This record gives sequence, C-alpha cells and structure tokens, in this order.
Amino acid sequence: MSNFIKKLFGTLTEKSWERERAAIDDAHEGKTFDLSVQTSAVIIILGIATALFSLIFTGYIYSIPPEQDTRYLLKPNFLWLNTLILFCVTFFFSKVNKDLEKKITKNIKKNILIVGGLSYLFLFGQIIFWTLLMKSGNFVSTNSYFSSFYIFTALHGLHLLGGLFFWGKVSSRVLKLRNEKILEEEKNISALSLYWTYLLIVWLAFFLMIYIFNDAFIDWCKTLIS
Amino acid sequence: MSEEYDNNKTSYQAQSSEVLGGASGTTPSDMDYVRPAEIPEQELYHAHSFIEKWVFCQDAKVIGVQYFLTAVFTGVVGLILSWLMRLQLGFPGLAGFMTAEHYYQFVTMHGMIMVVYFLTALFLGGFGNYLIPLMVGARDMVFPYVNMLSFWMFFVAVAVLMASFFVPGGPTGSGWTLYPPQAILEGTPGSGAGILLMLISLSLFVIGFTMGGLNYLITVLQARTRGMTLMRLPLTIWGIFTATVLAMLAFPALLVSSIMMTLDKVLGTSFFMPTIIKAGEVLEYGGGSPILFQHLFWFFGHPEVYIVALPAFGIVSDLISVHARKNIFGYRMMVWAIVGIGALSFFVWAHHMYVSGMNPWFGFFFATTTLIIAVPTAMKVYNWILTLWRGNIRINTVMLWCLGFIVTFVNGGITGIFLGNVSVDVPLSDTYFVVAHFHMVMGIAPLMVIMGAIYHWFPLVAGRMLDEKLGKWHFWATFLGAYSIYFPMHYLGFIGVPRRYFEMYDSPYMTSGVGLNEFISLAAFLVGAAQFILIYNIIKTLKTGKPAGKNPWQANSLEWFTSTVPPEHGNFGDRLPVVHRWAYDYSVPGAKEDFIPQTTPPSEVANTEVEKT
Repeated sequence: MSNFIKKLFGTLTEKSWERERAAIDDAHEGKTFDLSVQTSAVIIILGIATALFSLIFTGYIYSIPPEQDTRYLLKPNFLWLNTLILFCVTFFFSKVNKDLEKKITKNIKKNILIVGGLSYLFLFGQIIFWTLLMKSGNFVSTNSYFSSFYIFTALHGLHLLGGLFFWGKVSSRVLKLRNEKILEEEKNISALSLYWTYLLIVWLAFFLMIYIFNDAFIDWCKTLIS
Repeated sequence: MSEEYDNNKTSYQAQSSEVLGGASGTTPSDMDYVRPAEIPEQELYHAHSFIEKWVFCQDAKVIGVQYFLTAVFTGVVGLILSWLMRLQLGFPGLAGFMTAEHYYQFVTMHGMIMVVYFLTALFLGGFGNYLIPLMVGARDMVFPYVNMLSFWMFFVAVAVLMASFFVPGGPTGSGWTLYPPQAILEGTPGSGAGILLMLISLSLFVIGFTMGGLNYLITVLQARTRGMTLMRLPLTIWGIFTATVLAMLAFPALLVSSIMMTLDKVLGTSFFMPTIIKAGEVLEYGGGSPILFQHLFWFFGHPEVYIVALPAFGIVSDLISVHARKNIFGYRMMVWAIVGIGALSFFVWAHHMYVSGMNPWFGFFFATTTLIIAVPTAMKVYNWILTLWRGNIRINTVMLWCLGFIVTFVNGGITGIFLGNVSVDVPLSDTYFVVAHFHMVMGIAPLMVIMGAIYHWFPLVAGRMLDEKLGKWHFWATFLGAYSIYFPMHYLGFIGVPRRYFEMYDSPYMTSGVGLNEFISLAAFLVGAAQFILIYNIIKTLKTGKPAGKNPWQANSLEWFTSTVPPEHGNFGDRLPVVHRWAYDYSVPGAKEDFIPQTTPPSEVANTEVEKT
C-alpha cells in the first residue's frame, strides 16, 4: 500500500515537459499497473460493489428498530452453515491458484467444478433461509431490520450470480482444454478467484455486523448521523 | 525503467528507426527512443452489416456519437419542458392545458433529464467514448462488446424514462430529488407508474454507465500507447477519468436508493417511510427515515456536480491551450486540482441538507469542506487565465465559448460560496437564488464547454468545418440570453421568491418581480431557440461545409493524427502512434511551427526549449 501511495505521488509530481523526464517517459510501455485487463476489471467492479454494500450497511445500521432482537437471524444456525460454505469455496479457489502458480494442472478442473457446485449450494441455502424466515412471519416489509437483510442477501446473491455467469464461461473453456493447456486461462481464473474472495469478505462483514452490533452500539451510531 | 533503457538503448534505437522512419524521413538521433511494443495489438471486431456498423456497433467512436445523439434528444425534451415551465411562470394561464400537476411533472423531468440523461451521458458517454481511445493512442476501448451494451442499456433507460410521459398519471412530479415520503404517496403527481418508471430508468442508467465506466478506466490505465505516461495525458482525459472514478463510487448510492424506494413503493418496506397519518388513518409504513434517502441521494448528487464539471474543466483546459497557442499554465497543478476536487466532492454532500433537520454539527463540518473545495477550483480558474495571459489568442467561436465558460463558472462559483455557508444558505434555501446558482455553475457553464467542444472536434468527427459566423451568432445569443435569465433570477431569490411554486402572483412581495419573471421567460425562449442555430449549422456544414483536412486547429494531441479524417475503425492505421512529449508544446521558442505534436521525436526539434511551468 505504501509503495502504491509513493508511486501515485511520484507519478503526480512528474514534470513531463522536461528533457530529462522525457527520456524516461519515452521508455514507458503504456500500462499503469502490471495487471491483466481481466483482473483490472474485477478490481474496479469490486470497488463499485464496496461502495454499494457500504451504503447498504450504513442504511442497515441507521434503520434497525429499537425493539428488534439484533441477533435473531443467527439463531437458526443457517447463516453459520452458509458462511462455512463460502469459506470452503474460497479454500478451493486458493487451491486452484496455488496449482496455477506451481503449474500443476491435474486437479484444477475438479476444483473449479467444486467451486461452482458449492456456490450454487450457497444460493440454494439462502433461498431455503428466506423461505423459513417467511414461514416464521418475517417478510421483507415486516420492519427495517428484515428489509435490510433481504435486500443485502438479494444483492449479494445477484453479485454471486454475476460471478457464476463468468464462472460458467471460464469453466466451459477450461473443461474443453487438455490439462497442460489450462495455464492459458490463468488470467481469467485468477480474476474469478479474486471475485470470489471478495464475496466472502463482504459476507463476513455483514455477518460480523449482525454478530457484533448490539443495541447500544447502534444507538451510538444513530446519534452520529441523525 | 531508465536503467532498463540505458542497458538496452542500442537495440531499442534499432527498432525505433523502423517505427519512426516512415513518419519523419530522417534518421533518429541518439535522443529518439521508442520502446518495443509489449502490449499485444487489440483484436477488433469489424462490422459485417449495416446493423452491426451503425446500430449494434462496437467501435467506441460510433458508440460516442450514439450516446451524443441520444443525450441531445433528451436535452431537447428537457429544453421544451423548461420553455413550458417558463411560459407558466412568466405568463400564467397562457398555456391553457397547464395544471399545477403538469408544472411539477415538467420541473421534475427537466431536472433529472438535464443532470443525468443529458449532461452526464453527453460528457462521459459522448466525449468519453469518442476521445479516450483516440487521445490515449488506443485502437478502441478494452471491452468493446461491453461498451456497446453500455449504450443500449442507456438507450433503454431513456426509453423507460420517456415512457413515463404516456402512463396513467404521467411522469413523477416529486421534484428531481425524488424525496420520500411524498414521492411515492398518493397526491403527488405521478406517484403510481411515473415514479416507478423513473426509479427503474435510473437503475438501468447506473448499470449501463458502470459497463461504460469500466471501459473508460481500464482503457486509460492499461491500454495507452507507448510513451504515453499518465502525466503526458491531455487534461481532457484526466477530467473524464476522474469523473468516471467519481461516478463509479457515487452512482451506487443512486442505485441503492432507487432500489430501496422501489421496494417501499411495491413491497411495502419502509426504508425511507416514517409513520404517516393520512386523514386520521395510520398508513402501513413506519420506522423508516426520509433523511436517510436525502443522505444517499446527495452522496450521489453532489459528486454528480463534479461528474459533469470535471470533464468540462479538462476539455476547456485543452481548448484554451490550443486556441491561445500556449502551453497550459501549471499542468501538474491542474491534475492535482482535478484529483483533489474529485476526492473532496465526497465530503460536501450535506450542504444540500442544511434545512433538513440533521445534526447542526454536520452543517458546521460540511460548510468547512464546501469552502475548502473552492481552493482547487479557484486554482483552475487562475491557471486558465494565466494560460491566456500573453498567449497568441485566436478569437474564434471555440475561444468565445471558453471565455464564456470562465466568466460563467466564476459567477456561479461565487454564489456557491454564499450558499455553502449555513447562515447565508438558510434564508436563501428554496428560493430562486439557488436555482440561479446551480443553473449558472452546472447548467450554463458546462453547456458552454460542450458547445466549445462541438465546434472544436466537429471537424474531426465529420471532416468539415462548422460555419464560424453562425457559431458566433450562436454564442452571443446564448451568452447574453443566459445572463438575461440568471442575473435577474438571483435578484428574485434575494427578495424571497420561492422555487417550486406553480403560481405566486397573489403574494404581495411578488409585485416587483412580475416584470422580471416575464423578462426571464422571454430570455429563456430566446436562448432555447438559439440552440437551433447550431443544429442548422451542423446540417448546413454536413452538406456544404468546408473540408477540414487533417489537424485544422494545429493541435498536438493524438486524436488529430489518425490515419484518416474522420478516423476509421482502429483509429491509427497499421501502426499505433508513439508519444514523445505532452500535448501542450505550443509557441515553443526555436521550433519551426507554433505547435509540436505529441508524436514528434526529440531529434526533429533539437534546438527548442520548452517553457518551465
């Protein structure tokens, strides 16, 4: 990070019109970062998603009704299970990444398929949890607490579905390749892996918020912004 | 990088002679260095049919023109709505069909159209698409297919928005800020299908823009041509780039608030809906916060001002430099100011909410940040003036628009300093002073840059020069007309005339404002009509205009060095250009001509000395 900041300030102070600087600038290849366009795209999408989810979190903190039991959602253990599934997805993606780094390709296809399967399982789990919530009389319009929960999980689910769309495209290409050719897809797989890690981070942020925040903390936050 | 250069200089020079030989016809000396291409050539999808070439096209330039034309269409709709509003305000009852509901619907649609669907789409979608690949020396955007989807998503968003004129109840009339709870409650015009279509349209716009913005950012960061460092980029690109970053971070707030309000309307959630008693009956809503919507909306809404302004700042900097034949004064400072304004724009949003009932300490904080943002903005104004200072100024149509912009922006900016202070803002809030301020600073000022940019780049897009005489008529009618509208409007605000009123002639303090209101309306009709001079000029030029040839303004930036004029798909023929300097080497002592293009190697201008800046 400090290197990035140094580089940024270094860049912004360049005097491109000076002869000495021009000799250096002429050697520039035209790229700012040593990243593939796929990874660059994923980083930017994750930046946008961070803004989006941060705003939803803020709205959530702002809107929880005072009488609400803020730990209600964690009691049926379902969200714990889904969190575990997301951890597993990240674990298998990290295995894929390690294999790519070491250029060991024999397990990559299998692990990519596991990633997709677990992700669909996560989505399925979310739908079951929604059904259970509705059966217990907690609908999207019941109060702001449940409204925020539904909207967060819906957007997180959409985010995941977007990832699964690209997972489908990449995995269909990977499955057609012979093992030794899989490395050609390294940039796409790395970008996907980054995307999935982010999905876990956002989920954990939300999960921790549900777990850690108690009414006293929420009241304090409200005094700040009301 | 320089170490690598020293080690490999000889081999690089051998390759550079191959690249440059055809261009200069001279043997490059020791000072010419061209890095071998490391970024692979982009594979372009070439159109095979009329539909692929002009409808579902993947060429950023065509997409830019599509964005431009669609945005202009929405702008014309917005203009007609403003005429109808002014007709009512200046001459109440003259438009017999106009009810109060219609008036509010026109106000709302005018505001949203002009800010989002016209100015944002035109600057980022129009100029962004056309200019980014050309100015950074790329063949196209990095994801052309996604770029095409971006335009069509925008097109659908516009179609959905326009559809709201034709649904029962008409478009929403809740004001362009769409404040809940009234926006979705019965009694507000368009509170049924109208508001829903507006929210859906905004969501589509944000999704579409995100696809485009992704392209702009990655193309600028990762797909520049050799030698094009970030600090050699023209300021136009810096402005569009920073505005895109802002949009990518601010539009999620609009998306989230649109989704939440849609759910409030459709599914009965209460994100923004407090407990409401209507005619003695408690509605089903409760527990939500309208202030939360205001925070979300303005977290988008204030950066939105800079999403429009920053590309305008960048473009006008380039236009002034080219037409004053002078390097831009304080290039680095201009870049810092663009980046600084962009960053600060996320810390000023609540100055739109001084009278909302939020914590007063917030007002103190946001007044301070608002005044701080005036510092980099003022730096830019000084630098534009110092660029003009002792320049070889060409008083052509482009320059007139640039000068008009500087004056208008300073005017609008100064009234912004009034409104940024809580104690001054509170009495002026919701008066015509505010309307005059924001129209000057983010309506007329950016519009002047758009006009300057059209006159400047039209020869590149169409290969013909727009008529100068008509251009000057267009400028003076718009400039004088705009001041005839907004100077008196400030006065109306000072005497307390409130905005958003359908009719107010019964108010005793309005008697002195009646004549002014009529005058303002007449001026508004004139300014609107004056824009048709441009449309006539464009049509006339396309038919019989003087051919522009290559680089008619003798500019330095890469867009003027394409293989053909107008540029073909792929922009630069067989070889991408190689950049050796920034875009502002004008009137350099010792040079044969008063401009040195970015592609000129050092050996061709060995005895020149660029001014320090």
